[in-house]
Amino acid sequence: MIYTGSFGKNLDILRRAMDAAVVRREVIADNIANADTPNFKRSVVTFESELKRALDSERVEHFPMLLTDRRHIVPDEPIDYRTVEPRRVLDYLTTSKNNGNNVDIEEEGVLALQNQLQYETMSQAIGSQFSIVNLVLR
Amino acid sequence: MGIFTGINTAASGLTAQRTRLDVIADNIANANTTRTEEGGAFLRKRVIFRPRVSDPYWRSPFTPEALDNGVGKGVRIVSIEADRDSKPRLVYDPTHPDAIKFGEQKGYVEYPNVNIVDEMVDMIAASRSYEANVAVINGSKSMFSKALEIGR
Repeated sequence: MIYTGSFGKNLDILRRAMDAAVVRREVIADNIANADTPNFKRSVVTFESELKRALDSERVEHFPMLLTDRRHIVPDEPIDYRTVEPRRVLDYLTTSKNNGNNVDIEEEGVLALQNQLQYETMSQAIGSQFSIVNLVLR
Repeated sequence: MGIFTGINTAASGLTAQRTRLDVIADNIANANTTRTEEGGAFLRKRVIFRPRVSDPYWRSPFTPEALDNGVGKGVRIVSIEADRDSKPRLVYDPTHPDAIKFGEQKGYVEYPNVNIVDEMVDMIAASRSYEANVAVINGSKSMFSKALEIGR
């Protein structure tokens, strides 16, 4: 784990990412539970790309522009990463079975495993953050 | 969102698939039943699944987020319905006590509309779905035990 930024912010980002992974797991569990329900449409959770957009926007040098009127639009304001929430998006356009259901159980299984490993990696990353602090304190 | 919500969701899938297996077992057990309480041959049973949501069901691509019903809570069985659409299997056996006595089909016995091959395929599908839900529960378990290791 590359140690950049502040301890608190790293921890906060990891915590939010873990929370998003829990929501994603719930959604995948719901998809798998409804794999045989007619007309059920699967959902996905978007979070990482939004988080990256927010974190990238903080890194860019912003060209300050004078706002002389209340109605002026602020150009490319940095996005606070704390406003990024995991969002459930319904995949309502596809159909993969005759009963209108679009859950592919293999795909969901792979996504579940991916999400689980991601979660475990993040929990390990949080642990290593604390172990770095421990190293300093000792 | 909670630690056990994902496990509860998968558990609802387990219950649903288990009931489906029970219904399939009942169908296979009654594949040759010609006499029932309602009269006539046994009718094949089917389970009807529905997604379980906490809030009223309303969904549209134009729905604003405030009206979104959130993450689903799994699946539930709304009813077990008899299959009245498919015809009974007719077997010619005039000596059978339930054989048709009059008309064009005289001498035929109405056997249930259960197709053993269909039921077996359904059974395999149900047990695979059951296993998928078990895999979700096991994955959640190891995920949260990893979270408990933070700071150890």
